[in-house]
Amino acid sequence: MLQIENLKSRIGETEILRGLSLSVNPGEVHAIMGPNGSGKSTLAQVVAGHQDYEVTGGSVTYKGQDLLELEPEERAREGIFLGFQYPVEIPGVNNAYLLKAALNAKRKHAGLDEIDAFEFLKMAREKMATLDMDPKFLNRGVNEGFSGGEKKRNEILQMAMLEPELAILDETDSGLDIDALKAVANGVNSLRNPDRAIVLVTHYQRLLDYIEPDFVHVLSEGQIIKSGDKSLALALEEKGYDWVREAASA
Amino acid sequence: MKRCTADELQAIVGRMPTTRDEDWKYTDLTRARDISSRWLTMGDGTPSSLLDEEIQRITESVEASWLVVANGEIRNLATVSGVTVDKLDEAPAGHHALAELNAALLKEGLRIVVEGTIDKPIGILVIDGTEDTSVSQAYIEVELANHSTASVIEYHASLGDADQYANTAVSLVVGDGATANHVRVQNRARNHVQTGRTDISVGKYANFRSAGFDLGGGLIRNDIVINISNAGADVSFDGLYLAGEGQHIDNHTRVDHRVGPAISKQEYRGILNGKCRCIWNGKAIVHEGADGTDADQANHNLLLSDKAEIDAKPELEIYTDDVKCSHGTTVGQLDETSLFYLRSRGLDREHATQILTHAFAAGIVARAPVEAAKEEITRLMEARLARMIQTDDDFSS
Repeated sequence: MLQIENLKSRIGETEILRGLSLSVNPGEVHAIMGPNGSGKSTLAQVVAGHQDYEVTGGSVTYKGQDLLELEPEERAREGIFLGFQYPVEIPGVNNAYLLKAALNAKRKHAGLDEIDAFEFLKMAREKMATLDMDPKFLNRGVNEGFSGGEKKRNEILQMAMLEPELAILDETDSGLDIDALKAVANGVNSLRNPDRAIVLVTHYQRLLDYIEPDFVHVLSEGQIIKSGDKSLALALEEKGYDWVREAASA
Repeated sequence: MKRCTADELQAIVGRMPTTRDEDWKYTDLTRARDISSRWLTMGDGTPSSLLDEEIQRITESVEASWLVVANGEIRNLATVSGVTVDKLDEAPAGHHALAELNAALLKEGLRIVVEGTIDKPIGILVIDGTEDTSVSQAYIEVELANHSTASVIEYHASLGDADQYANTAVSLVVGDGATANHVRVQNRARNHVQTGRTDISVGKYANFRSAGFDLGGGLIRNDIVINISNAGADVSFDGLYLAGEGQHIDNHTRVDHRVGPAISKQEYRGILNGKCRCIWNGKAIVHEGADGTDADQANHNLLLSDKAEIDAKPELEIYTDDVKCSHGTTVGQLDETSLFYLRSRGLDREHATQILTHAFAAGIVARAPVEAAKEEITRLMEARLARMIQTDDDFSS
């Protein structure tokens, strides 16, 4: 589904990704771990198409097409979803309006009719219930005045509504208390299915207690230096990142 | 109805402000002078065939008791209980050239007096539409008696391709303890010129709430002059201006706090795209002895193009000690992070831009004190934003 080959990217003059390769297939859950500044968020932003990150080498292929040729909105309509580390507050834009507009942009792209108001509301209420979200959030400004946990739940709500094929969740666990973490994990797990891939970008192992990954990758200085199964995350938790770095450079 | 000779009129036109006047530094009235001079030799032209249709559309789309001034002539005098409406034969003699022009060329003025509480808004439609070059005047007095309450919608519109210059003067007197809710909508054609002055005097413990929307026009100059000479006056007025390619919109506001305690708050917001220019000049003068004045002014601008120009100038003059005054202006571009966030949800750049500009403007609409006008304002605003954003490819770089 997603093939990243030798990807190099920089922001301004700073090179961040230095030859990263990763392959993600439908049904898989990947965890990308690594210390601060290793390039985890950059990877997420480049896949979603953020213009500030310049790709200077390598390739990204998604469902057989050159992903780097697509605008961010085209990537979204093709089934890519990025859960933001810092969801953006947009005062004055109703949450329901954004959800509906996003859903309809995707439906239109797929040649489907716009969703009707009743069907939309029913769907939104159901998804919100699984995330333990108050339906009143629908009528508030997008992330306006939301707490950290509410913003992350709102990201997962958007994901649940849009039903992406490839979801990249950037530090979705950061700043969450245990209840919010469980609710978010619940939302993510309910979306797991054989057609959908999920990439979790995280600093800590904690999230992986609730969402069990098929693969764990360690990112350091813009490259994946070690890959393994979920036991790698536990080893990291115990021994720290230096252990992998030393092993990789030895 | 011309009250003076052609030579006298030409002399008034010659006295119209120029960019050498400090208050008119950024707004060049040469076009208004040219149109006036040409029109003085030609006289009134043929009314536009679309005029009646447009009057009907507007008056039917906003629920109000409508009074219509079309090409400077009063069309109807609605009877509304609690409201006395009279035609005026003349406007008071003016103290500056635009008022002189108004007084000299006025066909018919309107005087509206409100007593008691009027629930249905009073709509005043000032509309111009001719097949040929035209100059029109409107003079409107609105007086709210002591302890009365009313909502007033001023709607300025025009149609036709011919050159047009409209000069309007509105005087609003809010009596002691009265509440005036006021909305001004300006949706003139994109090649037309308007100078408009609104003088407001606010009584003891009176409330004045206002919002002005400049959603059209070619060259627009608004002067809002508020006189607070009574204690307890509570004034808030907002403004929104949308300017696209070729437009020039100038808002000059002036609040004189002569007596305290009293409150005045204003917030103007502008969205500019393409080669255009807007001016916001907010002056607040706290005169000697106006203790307990609370004056606040804010102006925020969103520039979608590097060809757009804004001159934002707050001016506070304070001649007393016991005051609370603040001002703030911002000029910025669309937030790229918000734009990316929306695009990452599948919305294209144009749609995302529309959503963000709409959100920026919506705050002013939400606060507009006349509920009945909001739907029409929102409709005009959305249509204008959509066109402004589609027709300029500058921001897609």
